[in-house]
Amino acid sequence: MLRVRSDLPLDRDPSGRFLPWLVAVMVYLAALALICAVAANKIVERWDQGLSGQMTVQVPFSESPGDKSAEEILAVLRSTAGILEAEILGADEVARLLEPWLGSGAAYQDLPMPILIAVRVDPAAPPDMSTLRRRLTQIAPGTVLDDHQSWLGKLLDVARSVQLVAILVVGLVGASAVTMVIFATRMGLSVHGRVIELLHLIGAQDSYVARQFQAHALRLALRGGVLGLLLAVLTVVVVANLLGRGDVLGIPELTPLSIEWSLLPLLPLVVAVIAMITARLTVLRTLGRMP
Amino acid sequence: MRFEDVSLRYGAGPEILRHVSFHLEPGSFHFMAGPSGAGKSSLLKLMYLAQRPSHGGIQMFGRDVAHLSRGDTALMRRRIGVVFQDFRLLDHLSALENVALPLRISGQRTDKVRKHVAELLAWVGLADHLHALPPTLSGGQQQRVAIARAVVARPNLLLADEPTGNVDDRIAVRLLYLFEELNKLGTTIVIATHNETLVSRFSHPVLRLSGGEIRLSRHDPAAGRPTKGSAA
Repeated sequence: MLRVRSDLPLDRDPSGRFLPWLVAVMVYLAALALICAVAANKIVERWDQGLSGQMTVQVPFSESPGDKSAEEILAVLRSTAGILEAEILGADEVARLLEPWLGSGAAYQDLPMPILIAVRVDPAAPPDMSTLRRRLTQIAPGTVLDDHQSWLGKLLDVARSVQLVAILVVGLVGASAVTMVIFATRMGLSVHGRVIELLHLIGAQDSYVARQFQAHALRLALRGGVLGLLLAVLTVVVVANLLGRGDVLGIPELTPLSIEWSLLPLLPLVVAVIAMITARLTVLRTLGRMP
Repeated sequence: MRFEDVSLRYGAGPEILRHVSFHLEPGSFHFMAGPSGAGKSSLLKLMYLAQRPSHGGIQMFGRDVAHLSRGDTALMRRRIGVVFQDFRLLDHLSALENVALPLRISGQRTDKVRKHVAELLAWVGLADHLHALPPTLSGGQQQRVAIARAVVARPNLLLADEPTGNVDDRIAVRLLYLFEELNKLGTTIVIATHNETLVSRFSHPVLRLSGGEIRLSRHDPAAGRPTKGSAA
């Protein structure tokens, strides 16, 4: 019969109506930003793993018919410590590589194509690339040794930028959450000023009043946070389905059992805890001004 | 309760109370009387620690209130029951919940105090209104809920600001008898009122405020006229 209602009727406040929606929007944005950051990271990791230990040697096209530089280079590669395997790519493989640019059935045989050598390197003990590059260019000037690091570096820069933007978005969301909760709490303190004064005068500790505000903020933020997270997950699923192939976004790695997915539910929890602490500090600071 | 050379002004305004000194013995019963604007409410605010004096010292229950920590001030307030002139009931809580509020605040389990609270409400004649919300009660009924809330935690000091302002004389006298019963149990009582007729029916001393100054007078119910005494 007793204690069915809170001393402070905070549930009737306007903040109870707008705060969950604002938190939902913020958590939605933060969740999407984090998903993008994780996806970018996954793409880089996948490319890194895929290209790890792989190298391509490109021997320029020679017009002299008896030119054996490709074979010489192959022999050098095979005799170099740290190189596990080296093979000249066959005509079919080269055709397959060129197909996206030249189309199928293109008469690439008539083109002055370089000879490509696929090299597998021991990742634990790779060869000295600058020495190897020098030796190969001595045999055939213009030979290109591509260990893909330059391309991967650029990809990594992009991923880092995405992660930086995500962190920025999450930071802004956190700051906005704090500001909103301060505003809503102050509004509540103002609306319920007389009730709070009464509680104060009949012996309520500041923490007694603060507990009611912080529990209210926690409830609202949690409600909004869960909603925002669900919407974000729904968005990702819909986008992945619309694209028809999730791997465009690096989503396959974000399986329901992956650590990233399991961390996402923490987002509304973290926002709710931030809201709770903010409400508590705001109330304690305001009540501290009362005699 | 001991006031020593206490003055009070709000901001840069004039002094509401000037060099007020008095001492109330534990278990005493005093009326506080004076015309409107004499400073009765301000003096009561100092007594229930809602206000700090601009000058002078106040001792409550043997402790200087100026040196109380925030937590200790809250604990001391729990020893003081207050009947506010405007009742200050919480409209969203029932009469029962309003009266139980001081007990909740002091951490008592409400399921254990329900019987006690209900008995108290019955004592003030509201047995049939336990679950009524304040807006549905009359002024007099609200006042009795406010009184019940002030006394529920058995305070050492009970301060009442015009507690009989909204009730007829018969209920007013009955409420004052209720205060006397509490007083007999050891509670110190201070009742601010401008109802001289009511004051004259009891033999308790009167703290008279006028122009921000205080003096103590003792009533002679037989003569129906106050006699002057020392405020200190």
